Amino acid sequence: MKLILDRYAYLDSPLHRWQQGYKLIGLLSLIFAFAFIQNIWLLPIMVIITGILFSLSEIPISFLIKRLRYPSWFILTVVFLLPFISGNTPIFQLGFLTIHAEGCWQALLISVRFFCILTVSLVLFGTAPFLSSIKAMRSFGFPRVIVDMTLLSYRYLEELGEMLTTMQRAMRLRGFKAKGFKRRNLEVFAQLTGSILVRSYERSLRIYQAMILRGYGSQRTRKKNSWQWNKHSDRYSLWITIMAVVISISLVTLEATLPSFIWLSI
Amino acid sequence: MHIPDGFLSPSVCITGYALTGGVTWYCLRQIERDRNIQANIPKASLLTAAFFVASLINIPIPPTSIHLIFNGLMGALLGYYAFLAILIGLFFQAVMFQHGGMSTLGVNAIIIGSPSIAAYHLFQQRGRLGSNKPVLTTILSFVSGAGALLLSAAMFAILLVTNISPDMDVNAERTAILISLSGYSIQAVIEGVFTVMLISFLEKVKPELLKS
Repeated sequence: MKLILDRYAYLDSPLHRWQQGYKLIGLLSLIFAFAFIQNIWLLPIMVIITGILFSLSEIPISFLIKRLRYPSWFILTVVFLLPFISGNTPIFQLGFLTIHAEGCWQALLISVRFFCILTVSLVLFGTAPFLSSIKAMRSFGFPRVIVDMTLLSYRYLEELGEMLTTMQRAMRLRGFKAKGFKRRNLEVFAQLTGSILVRSYERSLRIYQAMILRGYGSQRTRKKNSWQWNKHSDRYSLWITIMAVVISISLVTLEATLPSFIWLSI
Repeated sequence: MHIPDGFLSPSVCITGYALTGGVTWYCLRQIERDRNIQANIPKASLLTAAFFVASLINIPIPPTSIHLIFNGLMGALLGYYAFLAILIGLFFQAVMFQHGGMSTLGVNAIIIGSPSIAAYHLFQQRGRLGSNKPVLTTILSFVSGAGALLLSAAMFAILLVTNISPDMDVNAERTAILISLSGYSIQAVIEGVFTVMLISFLEKVKPELLKS
């Protein structure tokens, strides 16, 4: 299991220079503004903003396409079904099935919104090392338990993934074939999962002892998360964040003030 | 069972975040009562990573395969840490694999996380009624595993179908919910049986994991 999220985190683009703490505020506000959009007229604006952000990030398009593969199946199913089951204005008859206008527009709205939010999320977490995002959360005052758990889980995710791959390989070498649904197979999978849990539990005990030796939990080692002002880079990040927040507010305002879309008026 | 970005209205997403905030606060308050919180954080973290990895195991059910959710099992093993573990796991999944999404993270956490707390309280009855009764452990394990998944599936189906389109016919909504629930009930039985097998394995190999 390779976590390839950090693959493009060390490029030098305008979005990579945007500090992760500020970027979280700016791009999360944009994600929520996108989630607000119900008006079809605003979709092109959303696509343009997403396109600009993605091209500025310098992340290759193949990386985005690879990320779209899994969720797209779910989206495709829904988008395919909606025109048949939603709405009451028929536009086309296909045997006993009727395609409705409202369902078509709803499918378009959902798929564009999904694509834009997913791309912005990828830009948000793909243009900085994942650890910077966790550190930024800590500086926002997230509870210590959650931040520590996130950091530790992330640290051991790849190792445990490798452990699973090794164990599955060992099972295959010993003649296990996971073909068909049998009680025996389910039992083997339960034992495999149990072994991973036991190994991680035992490992956590050793990790805790090592952490204690390095001063974990001691009052003296706890640093205050002070926000240190770096004049040059922070000014750039601040301005770009203000711009993102203003765009988000404008989108929400447009959504509230524009007349709602009337089906069949196009 | 993850609702992707773009499917829900912002009011539902914000409500999801607000509810997640409330449940997280409650769980943190319960965790703070824990005498050994410092030692339990590494345990909960590694088990979070282990559950995340284990959820990637494919269980073949021809012609397809399924991934297990483990929310009931997490509740039984991690207690109040389970909700935080699920929240972190969902965040990883949204960021790394685009399962679920950032705008729907709160809603997904409630869908998958809150049944884990119910499963924890249910599994706790084992200690009260006698942990050395194998039949009782089997029943509680099955109900924790299957019940948590069914509860999540019910919330997922109702939320998705009722929010996906304002123009959907009520009968079509009802049919869609029933169809998806009947599919998930098969998975719930598998998850329940799997939980029974896993708990029995842990009882033999590492019983302290069930007590911690």
